[in-house]
Amino acid sequence: MQEAWPRVIAHADMDAFYASVEQLDDPGLRGQPLLVGPRSDRGVVLTASYEARPFGVGSAMPMTRARRLCPQAVVVPPRFERYKAVSKRVMRVFADFSPAVEALSLDEAFLDMTGTGHIFGPPETFGARLKNAISEATGGLSASVGISATKYVAKVASGYSKPDGLTIVPPERAKQWLAPQPVAMLWGAGPKTQRRLAALGLATIGDVAAADRRWLASKLGKAGSHFHELAQAKDPRPVARSRTAKSIGSERTLASDVKSETEIAFQLRRAADAVGRRLRRNGYVARGVRVKLKRSDFRSLTRQRGLAEPTDVSEDLYRMAVALLPEFNDAGPFRLIGIAAYELDRRTEARQLHLGMGEGSRQQRLDAVLDQADERFGPGAVHRAGDLIRQSPIGPEVDLDFLLDDGD
Amino acid sequence: MKFSAPREDLLKLLQAVVGVVERRSTMPILSNVLLKVAGGKLSVTATDLEVELVADAPVDVEASGETTVPGRKLHDICRLLPDGTRVTATLSGNRMVIKGGRGRYTLATLSAGDFPVVDEMATRQTLQMPQQALQGLLQRTQFSMAQQDVRYYLNGLLLEAGTDGLQGLRAVATDGHRLALSEVGLSETPEAHRVIVPRKGILELNRLLHPEGDVLMMIGESHLRVEFDGLRMTSTLIDGQFPDYTRVIPLDPPNSVIADREQLHHALQRAAVLANDKLRGVRLELGENSAVIHANNPEQEEAVETVEVEYGGAELEIGFNVNYLLDALQHIEGDNVQVGLRDGDSSCLITGQGDSSTQYVVMPMRL
Repeated sequence: MQEAWPRVIAHADMDAFYASVEQLDDPGLRGQPLLVGPRSDRGVVLTASYEARPFGVGSAMPMTRARRLCPQAVVVPPRFERYKAVSKRVMRVFADFSPAVEALSLDEAFLDMTGTGHIFGPPETFGARLKNAISEATGGLSASVGISATKYVAKVASGYSKPDGLTIVPPERAKQWLAPQPVAMLWGAGPKTQRRLAALGLATIGDVAAADRRWLASKLGKAGSHFHELAQAKDPRPVARSRTAKSIGSERTLASDVKSETEIAFQLRRAADAVGRRLRRNGYVARGVRVKLKRSDFRSLTRQRGLAEPTDVSEDLYRMAVALLPEFNDAGPFRLIGIAAYELDRRTEARQLHLGMGEGSRQQRLDAVLDQADERFGPGAVHRAGDLIRQSPIGPEVDLDFLLDDGD
Repeated sequence: MKFSAPREDLLKLLQAVVGVVERRSTMPILSNVLLKVAGGKLSVTATDLEVELVADAPVDVEASGETTVPGRKLHDICRLLPDGTRVTATLSGNRMVIKGGRGRYTLATLSAGDFPVVDEMATRQTLQMPQQALQGLLQRTQFSMAQQDVRYYLNGLLLEAGTDGLQGLRAVATDGHRLALSEVGLSETPEAHRVIVPRKGILELNRLLHPEGDVLMMIGESHLRVEFDGLRMTSTLIDGQFPDYTRVIPLDPPNSVIADREQLHHALQRAAVLANDKLRGVRLELGENSAVIHANNPEQEEAVETVEVEYGGAELEIGFNVNYLLDALQHIEGDNVQVGLRDGDSSCLITGQGDSSTQYVVMPMRL
């Protein structure tokens, strides 16, 4: 039967990964509602254990709210180093089953299993073997696995019966199987899109599949056609070899070319703020800073340098960027200015304290306040006073993130 | 210009200066060394515009003159010639011909007039001391210098003399996480001077100093010059304000540990094997007359070492980057070491027991 499938794609997703690792390492936490996240009131839940979920707690929920909903929950600060170590073992299991593994994060990956039927058996057999192997390699962690002929359906299938689920959707039944699922299951449909779909009277994936493609496209633009395809269970995207998090960058094409040092410094400041914010939001620190300048003749120049210590502080990025400017040895004018932070590491709770000769902690507090304002009032709510009297760029900000939890 | 000398004599000169010859530079002449032949001597100069090194030695001079040739190439040729080879160098047009044994090498030259040299500097103060004393001072402090820090004034070593009641010469280095301070005596009390010597100059100086003989140190407005063993190093100074380091040295920390320096050093080295590769964190638990060191890594491996110490203070738990502790313990002299602590969030002061001529301040790590 497997031979009839055009492709065989599995999506494996560890169940409540961070929380499960904590429960694995500390038997005292097993069977208890558990929140992995910062102990302080700021920040959000990274993972809630299955025991905590009936209380309505989920990941990305503000910590204060989660604790109100589930006051008896134990809060454990994240140990990314440990999760990364366990993740490596899980990824090694994946690699044993397939040469084409696309990791989406520490705890989630696509495996292209096309043509492996004679080795690992039909999907049912293979799926069970994969789950067993994960459990064995990690000392008892469970994963939910979805198998179908496209990445999209496999991903929806793995979430279908969590935890410890195994859901197989043969390609000929995929469209029909998807139909009753809510539109929230459409890949890429965030809360805003979901509201728009609801407003159009589309509640289920079946509704989207039945809608006219051109009408959808007229309402939602390019995304409309994309959702229409997905809803038909069409998703030709191949399983890509894993990319790893390499850098986070921000660059802008300016309304008019700039030449003066103050103008360049001002653009670097803005880029450093944006990059710093993204580092903090994703829980990364960077070990190096790269500056990119594009001359008016479109030639791109870059200079980079490692930092004395990993950082997610905007001011540190900015200062390093400014320090790099003389190395360009180029007077401009420039049409594009950008910064990227590279050699990313997970921020850990462990922290080297400072002798207190600089103003490091003050900058961190400033960042925290700016980030909060940003989250609450939307980007651009707070400006540095200097910004108000300067020109604004024309090009939209290019998001250079190719951010994924890396496996080194 | 023509001279000849044993290969060993030339190699010694070139080895002394080659450390500042630029490998890749936007100024091609910085890859060259300046050769000057006059008065029976050859002097070799190399510079990276921050640090200039000049070494000289007697050679057989047939014709005086000066030129510049690629430094690393000349160094490598001399290094690879067999022992006892006599080397002859002759400037011929814009080429320099090197002959040694049965080999003949023709090097490209650049005009000596284009080679950047430090002009005569105005010396404000000259200090004299044994080379060994200066080298000890550098070795006990240089590892705490910052590296490529945007706080550029930390990427070097502060040398201080003659300031409020200071008898000798003091060196201070800090990277913002830890600080090293050390002093050596001087035969006379100098005028007050505070200069920051860039990292590169300090590393080169430490490499070149020998345990014997004296060294002359000349402090100028924007340069520091050090002369010893036929060598002269001139370094630019970092134009910046070194932070007020006295503020971060803890005064009378209430809890004091006395330990056998070697025992503690070895226990930390062993525990460090299982510390996290990147963070290098270890946890110290202090109780009555004992220090327990804990280290672990993401693979869940764990090290526990118990060291007998003299301690009567409060029970205390504190984390450190183990490398910072090892650096300090390795450079303290004497059998016993004293570690002064306040609490898990405050800096600790490491000194030899009853000896404050060398002090290390290390900030803890929150683990």
